[in-house]
Amino acid sequence: MTAVVSRPGGVGAASPVGRGPARRRRHRLADRPWSLWLALSYVAVLAVAALAPGFLAPSSPTAVDYAAALLPPSLEHPFGTDESGRDLYTRIVHGAADSLSIGLGAAALAIVCAIALGALAALGPRPIAALVDRVIEVLFAFPTLLLALLLIAITGPSATTQIIAVGLGSAPGYARMVRGQIRQAAGSGYVEAAVALGHGRARILRRHVLPNALRPLVAVAALAVGQSIVWASSLSFLGLGVAPPSPEWGALLDAGRPYVIQAGWLIVIPGLVIVALALAATSIGRHLQHRLESGARA
Amino acid sequence: MLTGALALTACAAPAATDTEVVDGGTIVYAHQQEPACVFGGWIEQAYLSYQVLDSLTSLEEDGTAVPWLAESWAESEDGLSWTFTLREDVNFTDGTPLDAQAVVTNIRHWTEGGGNSTANVWLSGYLADAIAVDERTLQVDLVAPYPRLGETLSQGYFGIQSPTALETRTQEENCAAPIGSGAFTVEEWRRGEEIVLARNDDYSSPPANAGHNGPAHVERVIWKFIADPTTRVAALQSGEVDAIYDVPAVQWASLENGDVELLRHVTKGRPHQLTFDAVDGPFTDERVRQAFAHSLDRETIVETVGRGVIPFEGNGGVSAATPGYSEAAAARYDFDPDLAVDLLEEAGWVLPADADAGERAVREKEGERLEVTLPYGAGSIISTDGAAILQGVKEQAEQVGFSVELVPVPQSEFFSGAYSTPEERDIAAGYWTAVTSGILWVNWRPSTAERPNYANQSFLADEELAELILAANSARDVDEQNRLYEQAQEHIADRAYSIGLFARLSTLAVGPRLQGVWQEHAQGGPVFHDAQLLG
Repeated sequence: MTAVVSRPGGVGAASPVGRGPARRRRHRLADRPWSLWLALSYVAVLAVAALAPGFLAPSSPTAVDYAAALLPPSLEHPFGTDESGRDLYTRIVHGAADSLSIGLGAAALAIVCAIALGALAALGPRPIAALVDRVIEVLFAFPTLLLALLLIAITGPSATTQIIAVGLGSAPGYARMVRGQIRQAAGSGYVEAAVALGHGRARILRRHVLPNALRPLVAVAALAVGQSIVWASSLSFLGLGVAPPSPEWGALLDAGRPYVIQAGWLIVIPGLVIVALALAATSIGRHLQHRLESGARA
Repeated sequence: MLTGALALTACAAPAATDTEVVDGGTIVYAHQQEPACVFGGWIEQAYLSYQVLDSLTSLEEDGTAVPWLAESWAESEDGLSWTFTLREDVNFTDGTPLDAQAVVTNIRHWTEGGGNSTANVWLSGYLADAIAVDERTLQVDLVAPYPRLGETLSQGYFGIQSPTALETRTQEENCAAPIGSGAFTVEEWRRGEEIVLARNDDYSSPPANAGHNGPAHVERVIWKFIADPTTRVAALQSGEVDAIYDVPAVQWASLENGDVELLRHVTKGRPHQLTFDAVDGPFTDERVRQAFAHSLDRETIVETVGRGVIPFEGNGGVSAATPGYSEAAAARYDFDPDLAVDLLEEAGWVLPADADAGERAVREKEGERLEVTLPYGAGSIISTDGAAILQGVKEQAEQVGFSVELVPVPQSEFFSGAYSTPEERDIAAGYWTAVTSGILWVNWRPSTAERPNYANQSFLADEELAELILAANSARDVDEQNRLYEQAQEHIADRAYSIGLFARLSTLAVGPRLQGVWQEHAQGGPVFHDAQLLG
């Protein structure tokens, strides 16, 4: 993404994108706040958990051990065990792949839909743009979760529907943002200048409008991942996600609910894992946003 | 920290001593499930309609029927005709008097009018006619003898409604607020929230086993619906509600140590069990069914998840609380994974050649994988404890080479017939409460073209089994009847048509402000007629 946005502008009336790539490369590691490092290392650990769960937790996430039911966290079971004696640490590690792919998938779907809808609303022929505008407005009026619930009610719960439900559910909000950004870029001086220079529509769109309009989306995408994971977990918590005994994090929260008083770790630990990921994604997103803004100002 | 919070709650609850019984008052009761109608064919409806409708008979603790709306009854010599004498001076709450014709109207309503599917499956095939001989004498003619008719009628599915209400009011009105002669009437139903039951001040017809005659002590019962068990327990502990239904196993011990009264009733009839689809898929082979049974350490799963509160039940036919229960059928399958593997190998289900040693592999036969689907009514039929038990079943069956897909089905979908065909599922999980082993006929009667049996989850037509159960149903001698029912259960167990998992419980937790609540003996629902609040 950085490679795209930092490509130097080739025309005299250069758009903001074309400026200062060298400066950004000079960012030193020491400039980065510790919270970003913490966030990045947490995400890295989770990435390992998602790609090679056996490396962090070699046993099966569904293996029961009835002699070890509802044990509090200990050296042997760092996160404790559930009602069937399953090791919660192993389950959380193995649940990372599901949770992250649902979160990433939903965020990606949301952003793609948002770009398509937003671009159409901003640049499409007037009647179509007006129609898409209204559709976005109507969908935006629905709370995200309600829209997601509606989709799941129609299609039934599964990981795929969860991705689609959360993705489509959160798309309208981003679409509005994209539309605004594109409109702003399209009406800017550098686009006017590019038009004056006789560049073709496609070229202007590709070289000036889209890169400038979509740049803020990089930060938003990171935030969207965190948000999507929280929404997906909410759906699983309501029993509308991946079927048990899958160790998807929201499903773990749901499964731990009956034991909240006797075995609080079953709900507190998965909850913390989700919250920490949302925070990490937000922190990374904010940092990206900050960098892009300072880059744009430079 | 959690212990501290618990101790605080315990301190905050009012002490049970130095309190006096108050006259009237409102009981707030939190139930789990909200059915679509007050009266119907599901136990959750029977719990509710019991408060509003009286039945002809009531069940005693020892399993025999005692008088309720029927003062007495007699069976003819040949067992083909029953005469019920009705109680005098009973009126429905709309003023209609109870007479034999009213009961006839109700019987027609259940069987011909679609008024109660469960009442219908019990009576169909046996009921020849119901006749009002005179005002107080009802004659029920049967096609074949059915000596346990009196007991059978004590279930909530046979609650008697005002014939005027049935004939003049709309279906919706009778669904939301049926008119009976019971201790309470339905005052209001705030859907999704609660049903307000108001005392029937003219109540004069409690069953013979009631604690007192005359109207209920309390003025109102607010029957709330709180689906989440943890929230229900918290509501009880904070004093927000006076009693709750279905105490989760994990909360039992902590409540037992407080000032809460815990009531537990093991329902008779079919326990929580697994029935195999014996006409389509891998379970058509008896050895595969037996292998599945042997792969499970059901007792350990149930004892652990049920935390000693939910009893293990090995018998797939009927529960240990049911008359005519077979111990032999219950003990038929022990945990023997090696035997399970042998049976599967013998049946031709082998591990794929490329399976890694130590890795979990799914067996195959002629290129087909040993994948089975186990849908369950999540939250409606199967509680969270039950779902945890099914996860144990999945895990253990997969150790010997099955691949089990658990499908939690939401209540609305489940009751509208999702996963009800042989092609859609391989194992059915569930219970069916009853008061006798006559439930076997409901669950195993072979389907015929004219009379399909949707309750037969194996889809089997085992004529030998059907004959055994029919003979048992009509056996006049109780010992002979029980012997035949036991044979039928062993027939089911030997062929592994169905295997038991755990007993179905009706549990109540009653707070210190309330006394005199008891569980009626047919299905274990709460009886509020004798209940009193303490001031």
